[in-house]
Amino acid sequence: MFARFVLKRVGAAVLLVFGIVVVTFALTALLPGDPAAAQLGDRASGDPAIVEAYRKAHGLDQPLWTQFVLYLVHLVQGDLGTSLQSRNPVLSDLAQFGPASFELAVTATAIAVIVGVGLGILAALRANGPLDHTLRVVSLGGVSIPIFWLSLIAVFLFSTQLRLFPSSGRLNPGETPPNHITGLYVLDSVITANWATLGSSVAHLILPALVLAAPMVGLLLRFTRSSMLEVIGNDYVRSANAKGLPAGLVVRRHILRGALVPVITVLGSAFASLLAGTVLVEQIFAWPGIGSYAYRSASNLDLPAIVGVTLFVAIVFILVNFLVDILYGLIDPRIRTS
Amino acid sequence: MKRFSRGSALLGGLLGAALLLSACSSAGTPASTSSAGGTLVIDKSFDLKTADPARNFETTGNILGRALYDTLVTFANGDSSTPIPMVATKWAGNSDATEYTFTLRDDITFPSGNKLTADDVVFSLERVANIKGNGSFLMAGLTASAIDPTTVLIKSEAPNTAIPAIMTSPTLGILDSKTVIANGGSDAVGADTADTAETYLNKTSAGSGPYELSTFDTTTETVITANPDYWGNKPKYDKVVLRNSTAETQNSDITSGTAQVALDLGSDQIASLSGNSSVIVSTTSSPTLFFLFSNANPAVSATTSNPKFREAVTYGLDYSGLLELAGNGAVRAAGVVPDSFLGALKADQAIARDVTRAKAAVATLGGTPTVSLEYPSDISSNGLDFGPIAERIQANLAEVGITVNLTPSPVATALANYRAGTEQMGLWLWNPDFPDPSDYLVFGPGATVGLRAGWAAGSAPDIESIASKAAVTVDDATRATLYQEFQTKLNEAGVFNPLFQPAASVVSSSSVGKVLFSPAFGLDIAAIGQ
Repeated sequence: MFARFVLKRVGAAVLLVFGIVVVTFALTALLPGDPAAAQLGDRASGDPAIVEAYRKAHGLDQPLWTQFVLYLVHLVQGDLGTSLQSRNPVLSDLAQFGPASFELAVTATAIAVIVGVGLGILAALRANGPLDHTLRVVSLGGVSIPIFWLSLIAVFLFSTQLRLFPSSGRLNPGETPPNHITGLYVLDSVITANWATLGSSVAHLILPALVLAAPMVGLLLRFTRSSMLEVIGNDYVRSANAKGLPAGLVVRRHILRGALVPVITVLGSAFASLLAGTVLVEQIFAWPGIGSYAYRSASNLDLPAIVGVTLFVAIVFILVNFLVDILYGLIDPRIRTS
Repeated sequence: MKRFSRGSALLGGLLGAALLLSACSSAGTPASTSSAGGTLVIDKSFDLKTADPARNFETTGNILGRALYDTLVTFANGDSSTPIPMVATKWAGNSDATEYTFTLRDDITFPSGNKLTADDVVFSLERVANIKGNGSFLMAGLTASAIDPTTVLIKSEAPNTAIPAIMTSPTLGILDSKTVIANGGSDAVGADTADTAETYLNKTSAGSGPYELSTFDTTTETVITANPDYWGNKPKYDKVVLRNSTAETQNSDITSGTAQVALDLGSDQIASLSGNSSVIVSTTSSPTLFFLFSNANPAVSATTSNPKFREAVTYGLDYSGLLELAGNGAVRAAGVVPDSFLGALKADQAIARDVTRAKAAVATLGGTPTVSLEYPSDISSNGLDFGPIAERIQANLAEVGITVNLTPSPVATALANYRAGTEQMGLWLWNPDFPDPSDYLVFGPGATVGLRAGWAAGSAPDIESIASKAAVTVDDATRATLYQEFQTKLNEAGVFNPLFQPAASVVSSSSVGKVLFSPAFGLDIAAIGQ
């Protein structure tokens, strides 16, 4: 039963990825602008021999259909092409930048879940009280403050003024990264017992992760609160309270469990906005992740990199949705059996 | 409730640990030192693509290339008018500037142990020509040959007095040919496909410069270390970290001491540093030219191709206001040639605003001329965005009766229209490829930039005649006069309106001392602190 469910999901995912490749490739190719012109300098672009050599070297001299078919053939073989900007295979670029974004996104999500869900529970338990009203403002602020503005303020306050956290990069200037195991500096530092790098990598991670987590905190806070309030009104919760069960137990076992399904749904969508937010946050904090790579690729009409990043993000989305589906089943047995 | 308390304690503990770790990492204190032999951190907004000099033609790459590779000649102390010896101790041109002979030092050794000879110079120059990269045009019409191990002859198809200035380009950095060939390098015809040395050169430098490549990354930071066997003045810093960061981050880094040099601060940010005794600001005018053009091709616009319209634009622009907008340190561009180059027009030769004349010119056009002005919306230069400049131009021209519709677009898109010559009006900039006025002949009719403004060859025979003469004239005094004439005529034609040269500011920490901007290659890292 479960295997069939997984197979159906994988099949749908493959079709979805194919659709994304077609749409991204077509849209990028239809954009006004010439990748060769974007890469070549003022003088070089005026020399037909250089332009021709560039087009030939990057397959841009082929008709669009041929380029697309070649791309698909290479894609099936796991080759995403070569970036016009970095001149590296796109796959190796993604392998280089992906872990940085993953580390940032996972940390931001963890912060958002702990803070957002925690505050949401508090708001629900103290509904319509002063704390709830205060948290409503916090939530509104989280979802409505533009992330670039928050980033700049965070840099100014915590880095320039208070000097609590560094403002850019993943490590201090010139510091050697930990031995590459996962590409996640914090984890790699722990695994290799490199405590100096651990301190540096955590310090660099905190500020961008907090900024990135802010909108998600606001969203989760609101959804947890409203979902909790819905469940709190149910008969079985009243019964649990009437039986004299400890308040903590009622919240964890009876309220939270029922309230978490919609929260997880929101978490999935929030992860989407978080990935979009990384472009701005990574730019401002000079975080060498997929967001920075995407920005550079888009502004330079780097077609293979644009399609590569889009595919990467799409696959992450599909995986996250898949995980959300599995989590539904784990949290609510009714979904699993149906 | 007991378990909740434990959870809170755990959360509190985790946050405390994070803060402790961040404190341990000395986040708020400079990670580097600026003492002799220490580490220097330079913040720069990267446009870095490669560490292979022959394939590089970007500003960050020039800074890196200047540190890793020697060139035949160079510039020093922020000057860009008089080349000085580097690998070549002396050089001389023939009477018609078609041949230049360079005499090389015989005491330079690459880190591999190979001696630098004329063969290395020839290999490096021919490789640039045949690799068909962004910088290949530097060798257009030029051929290099070795006369003996310490003599190189560069021949030009046409008289070319710019050859010594061209040879200062970091793109023409001299490589250890034996090492590069052993790692896939080629200088032969077909090197655009045969040469595979870029991968090697992105890991290991093969030059004789004051620094060697330690780690290369086009997105985060690139680290270079002092060449222990450098033949010239030893650089002050053993290790230099060139970090990719936005202007906002640079401002924060230079203030907190995380970086010792910041290269991309805008005039507002620099103004905010006044009174800060821990930093030194060095400001000069940059050779970058911001200019406006009105397309001369009637097929693109019957309005902008009308000389009366161009007259209205030329005299309708408020150049002083635009200069003010460019910020402190910017200078008015009297002509297309920057003020520090030979043949530049003097400030009093610049066109002054004349609203009455502009309005009279508009009146001859009948009705309200309406045109579109295109510009790149997602790039900036020297801390200046194009948007506010375009808006000011729109307001200036509205005062004289011209309606300008602004059409901003991302640079990748805008470039295609600009290079195709289809923009009615365009707001762009030009950075010199090499510090010689001949680089500005591209603004003439039928030349690269002229064509982008729809100015076909034969459109202005008098200007083309002066340009042809200037290109082949050897005597400096005569050249200067010809280039001034060329620019005066350009200004009169009004296809191009030179606006200003923005300020180029380098901000350094006081412990490092004043750091000079170099118009030729941005920054001479080895000269910092000397």
